[in-house]
Amino acid sequence: MTRASYIVAAVAAGALLVLLPLLGSGYIVYLANLMLVYIVLALGLNILIGETGQFGLAHVAFYGIGIYTTAILTGRFDVPFLIAAAAGVLLAGAIGLLLGYVSFRMRDIYLALSTFAFGEAMQWVYRSWDAVTNGPNGMRIKPAELFGFRIATDHDAYPFVLATTIIIIAATVWLRRSRLGRAFRAVRESEPAALAMGVDVRRAKVIAFALSAAYAGAAGGMFASFSSFIHPDSLGFTETILVVTMIVVGGLGSIPGAIVGALVLGAVQELLRQAPSYQEILYGVILILFMMYLPKGLAGAVGNLARRAG
Amino acid sequence: MMGDWQVYWLFLQQGIASGLVTGSIYALLAIAIVIIFKTTDAPNFAAGEIFMAGAYIALYLLIFSQIAYVIAVPVTLAITFVFSALFYRIVLRRIGVSPAVAVNVVIATLGLSFVLKGIVRNTGFGDVPRSFPAVFGADTVQIGDAVLTTQDVAVFALALLAMAIFFVFFNYTRTGRAMRAVGMNPRAAALVGIDLHKTRMLIWGLSGLLSALAAILIAPKILMTADMGIVVILGFAAAIVGGFTSLPGAVVGGLIIGIVENLVGLFVSTRAIVVAPFIVIMLVLAIRPQGLFGGPVVIKKV
Repeated sequence: MTRASYIVAAVAAGALLVLLPLLGSGYIVYLANLMLVYIVLALGLNILIGETGQFGLAHVAFYGIGIYTTAILTGRFDVPFLIAAAAGVLLAGAIGLLLGYVSFRMRDIYLALSTFAFGEAMQWVYRSWDAVTNGPNGMRIKPAELFGFRIATDHDAYPFVLATTIIIIAATVWLRRSRLGRAFRAVRESEPAALAMGVDVRRAKVIAFALSAAYAGAAGGMFASFSSFIHPDSLGFTETILVVTMIVVGGLGSIPGAIVGALVLGAVQELLRQAPSYQEILYGVILILFMMYLPKGLAGAVGNLARRAG
Repeated sequence: MMGDWQVYWLFLQQGIASGLVTGSIYALLAIAIVIIFKTTDAPNFAAGEIFMAGAYIALYLLIFSQIAYVIAVPVTLAITFVFSALFYRIVLRRIGVSPAVAVNVVIATLGLSFVLKGIVRNTGFGDVPRSFPAVFGADTVQIGDAVLTTQDVAVFALALLAMAIFFVFFNYTRTGRAMRAVGMNPRAAALVGIDLHKTRMLIWGLSGLLSALAAILIAPKILMTADMGIVVILGFAAAIVGGFTSLPGAVVGGLIIGIVENLVGLFVSTRAIVVAPFIVIMLVLAIRPQGLFGGPVVIKKV
């Protein structure tokens, strides 16, 4: 593609995003908000798995920390929404940092299983800690207030959610090009080589964990801005797998890949809801077919096509 | 009147006895997980659903087709064997087997787990919890101060027998040794004439068979639902405690997890049982990142 066609595509996408709330019904705008949350979740997990090569499976646990922190601070303590959401990001990041410290020595399967165990344990906490999370009944989230405006509908939340997503995408692109981003990829390619080049492998891994968790916390705050309810059942392993699949289907380690993967699988999920009894079977078949025929994800497939086209 | 310590002593004996019974099932599951991990370089996240599907196939044959146990059990084992082998042949052979595509293999097995759950839910058997018919009576046997049912004892004995057969097969037959060779060094195994794909296919089949066997043995003790595959988490915990690549470790790990689970239920609370395996996994890995019985961490040179 030429530079001009990139600009045309970007302008068209931008116009669509701005006009969406004017054209779409409440449901469409709700979906758009949800997709934007998925994009942030996928970008965060991509830092850990795609860039740094650390197979963490606790992403949704941090998303839950973001949601519950925001909801509890605004609902029970009348903390302004932005401060509450920021607290969610910090808390998720801090717990991610701790998890990173505990697990930087583990590799591959052990890391995957210990983070999986952490995710399951956190879901158990959300389900059982009645006093704080209201346990298995789920928790209502108070409508957010931003700069004096009360966010009552999905339409109201959309500009905030969209702006946050754009800022986060820009930050991710900057991070990828930074020294830290290069350190992440060096760790992924070869730890001994990274060490030899003077990369502090342990520091890079722990920071990747914390950053990835902070992204999930931010996604949680975004979710709390437009959703009025959170249930612990929606914070389980299946959700984490959905995000993992997004970045693999998009193309591991690629920012456009993570974004497109989030949109494609988010859309697939919504479409499959139309056929509830076959939802699981179809979703499973789609995952298997993707892995069989597009192993490098959509980003890889597009790259191949472009190369073939010359 | 019994003193406190007498109650604890009774609990301890009961916990160990019941723990050995369920632990022997976790050991079978851990073996099924470990043999796949050793030869495929990725964990099989569909292990739980293959286990669940095995239980439902057996239930279908026994209850809805009224087939006798002696026929239904071998038929179930054969079906899961063939199905798991075909999954390797059709899906995984195309994806490939190497650490570089481990993520893809994991996602494909997760896809399989969704498919199996969806199928069982759609057949209509998975809608309501069901119970699996027991072969052995509920008569009790006293061992020390612990009380077990005849069925518990039979489950333990059959699980041990299955493991014994498996170890003989693995150590003393040509096919079994070929499987071990592929697990140790696939390139060298291929050089001495072992067909890698055929061996891995057999491993997948064997793993499916072991999962189904574990399912048939434990099904009468638990309630059957489409989500019963969650039990396999304990198999994963057992494999981790055992070092994830060691078969004797998997067996010891299974028994340890079974006993810990039962003791937690008796001494702490039944509510804590659900979260106990995850805490065990995290604790073990935080202290020893390569599992309790795993060898030293080997860092590959550039």
